[in-house]
Amino acid sequence: MNYSNLFKYWRTVLVVAEMSIRMQMNDAFVLFAIVFQPMIIAILALFMLQGKGADYAMFVVVGSGLTGLWSSLLFVSGNSINVERWTGTLESLVGMPTPFDVIVFGKNLANVFQSLLSMVVSYFLAALLFGYSLTLTQPLLFFVTLLLSMFAFICFGLTIAPVFVMYRSVQQWQNAMEFPVYILCGFLFPIALLPNWSTPISYLLPPYWAAIALHGTSTAVMPFEQIAFAWGMMLIFSLVDLVIASQLFKIMLYKARVDATLDVD
Amino acid sequence: MNAIEINHLRRIFRAQIGVFNRSIKEVFAVDDISFEVQQGELFGLLGPNGAGKTTTVKMLTTLLIPSLGSARVGGFDVVKQANEVRKRIGFIFGGERGLYWRLSGDDNLRYFASLYGVDPEVSKKRIPYLMEMVGLKGRGNERVGGYSRGMKQRLHVARTLLHDPDILFLDEPTIGLDPVGAREFRNVILDLQSQKKTILLTTHYMFEADALSDRIAIINKGSVIALDTPSGLKKHVSDLSVVEVETFGASEIVIEKLRALPFVDALSVEDRDQKQMILIQTERGAEAVPDVISALEGQRVGRVIVREPTLEDAYVRLVGGGA
Amino acid sequence: MRTIRKNFRLFWQGTLLSYRALFAWLRPVTYMASKIFMPLAQMFFFVFLGTYASGKDTSDFYVIGNAIQITSISGIFGVTMSVGGDRDAGTLPYLFGTPANRFMIFFGRAFMHVIDGAIGVVIALTWGVLLMGLDLSHTDLPALGLTILITTFSTCGLGLLMGCLSLLTANVMFVNNFVYFSLLIFSGANVQISTLPVWMQIVSSILPLTRGIAASRALAAGASLTDISVLLISEIGIGLTYGFLGYFLFSWFEIQAKRKGTLETV
Repeated sequence: MNYSNLFKYWRTVLVVAEMSIRMQMNDAFVLFAIVFQPMIIAILALFMLQGKGADYAMFVVVGSGLTGLWSSLLFVSGNSINVERWTGTLESLVGMPTPFDVIVFGKNLANVFQSLLSMVVSYFLAALLFGYSLTLTQPLLFFVTLLLSMFAFICFGLTIAPVFVMYRSVQQWQNAMEFPVYILCGFLFPIALLPNWSTPISYLLPPYWAAIALHGTSTAVMPFEQIAFAWGMMLIFSLVDLVIASQLFKIMLYKARVDATLDVD
Repeated sequence: MNAIEINHLRRIFRAQIGVFNRSIKEVFAVDDISFEVQQGELFGLLGPNGAGKTTTVKMLTTLLIPSLGSARVGGFDVVKQANEVRKRIGFIFGGERGLYWRLSGDDNLRYFASLYGVDPEVSKKRIPYLMEMVGLKGRGNERVGGYSRGMKQRLHVARTLLHDPDILFLDEPTIGLDPVGAREFRNVILDLQSQKKTILLTTHYMFEADALSDRIAIINKGSVIALDTPSGLKKHVSDLSVVEVETFGASEIVIEKLRALPFVDALSVEDRDQKQMILIQTERGAEAVPDVISALEGQRVGRVIVREPTLEDAYVRLVGGGA
Repeated sequence: MRTIRKNFRLFWQGTLLSYRALFAWLRPVTYMASKIFMPLAQMFFFVFLGTYASGKDTSDFYVIGNAIQITSISGIFGVTMSVGGDRDAGTLPYLFGTPANRFMIFFGRAFMHVIDGAIGVVIALTWGVLLMGLDLSHTDLPALGLTILITTFSTCGLGLLMGCLSLLTANVMFVNNFVYFSLLIFSGANVQISTLPVWMQIVSSILPLTRGIAASRALAAGASLTDISVLLISEIGIGLTYGFLGYFLFSWFEIQAKRKGTLETV
């Protein structure tokens, strides 16, 4: 996406996000992905990590929140363009003066924003059901990190959706892409446990840097240089993702207008 | 300046045939179409299913890329200046899809208005105005999922007018509506016409095209086979009369026998429950009736009427019967 | 004898049909992705999480637990879709219109998923041996095979019940996902059941999988078939109980639907 479009169309982005949230509020699938599944993972992790002491409760809250964020990005944002095709609204959206990637950006903003519910639910679960007292070690830096992470997730999602539209063979792996990212990005355990060869893959995934910085500012006192480095990585990835997404959207829309695949029939 | 200019437009579809011996067959959905639509004109595009009407409209609305030829809408090229075209047009593809059923009618409009870049202050006034215009006043807070088909289609009209476009494409807008709904819908179209909008309307309802259009292009198998005013088109058949014969269970053989009569210019059959209505175009008018009746000997025959030709008869003659 | 043969055919047809219908749209790659790769990724996730919690030497506990847990993918999702699939396809009225033996139709739908689920477990255990250092050298392998089959069978029993419930609710996938993920907690695949609160231990004891996982762990530790026979017999009992509950619900459902004339809309 052309960065300037984000400033030019910010109002449109917000309206798209608002409507998106309204539409998904009572969607059982979305609810499962952002509330129930992270909740069950949190319960499991809290039981499993019980022996490591109360400090780990906050770690679990952040980590299972991140699983919800990724699952929602993979399934809800990943399918966001296909869903428009099934409802028959894709043609209207493409035939509009607002660039299509701006619209999808707004939809992703909604998904990522509502996925924060995962973290909130896990928080209350750990605090109320398990009775942990939870505090953030570096609250201010944590919230800055959270904002940057949201931006990184949105941009990452912007590259996934057009790939799923254009390459059905990739989308077949959608289900299989959920847990590997939980593993490789160190959401609930450090990647030091993994074999060495997988480390470079982790470094290439924006959610890894989000997890490092979010854990580092919530359960540990991470030195600021390291936090800043993670922020920098997230920003770089976001900008790269926007450039890639812009090309992917161009190719996808041109292909769809040549192959007549904007509508299902 | 013409609102729409189409120059030798073509669109090829590649259809894959066969599962094992895959071969690609190329079909011209639109095969060398050219015409112009003037500003403020209501232009009808008429033709049987699969004639290429929707494909043409989709190329004009920037949703399909033409295989050959070019088109300009509002003075802009539909491929090279797609975004300029998009700012100036509105479009409806018939049917109830294409709206967010989980949102209210008002929210749907608010959403699309923002995508059209309409200033929020403007859309705040415009949405209630449009809802009233399409007869949905007071229903804006309800979820679209609960709307009737006609209400959804009228909401589509409101949606497409949000940014006050100069040029409108209405593709089969009354399809699937009951007669009352369709009539209300046509009133909305007349209303738009009085606002000097350029409208390209596709339909396969003849009387609708007749009543609304300034000019009509009849397209068949991807090509324009006639282009004229409704009265001009009717002149094609002004030398003819139409004999309508009601029959009960007449077989294909009997109908072929009628078709073969020397004075029969064109013949079409409409099935109505157990009855059939055979429409025969002939220069001989009432004089043809005795011969028709005798050709139908042994069949149960009901009412027989001789009347002046309509646009539909002109259409039947041009497209070649069986419509 | 003829009746037996006829019923066997019904059973077999139902089996093949339901399985083929379910995977008709799937290509080999999709099958690989959703039935082999996805479960393995999930297993690895919990094994890493588990060893992070309790040390590398405890990995066998998690490998076995999560490998056996894989049965519930076929048991819950596969079976439910086979039973509920009739509703989506609109074939339910035809099915209820035939004089065919309901029992055979019903259980036929689960059979292929038992085999499918068992194969999934074997693949998962193989990866466990190759990649996660699972040691099965002291294990009575035939007994383990039997345990896997029995556990898959009992999970499919729960699946049959879920499938019938799915005829009543609109959100089948939601309920399925919920049950599937809940089993991750309650089956003891990832936590020692004794460390759970008492009410959770009770729930755990009436669910399939729990005893199957316990039996498999015991076998891996060198136990003999006789040591775990009580566990296995109870596991069969639990599977049968759920299966029959499902069957009775299915029959009740048929009667209700016929009485109210809601076959088309259900």
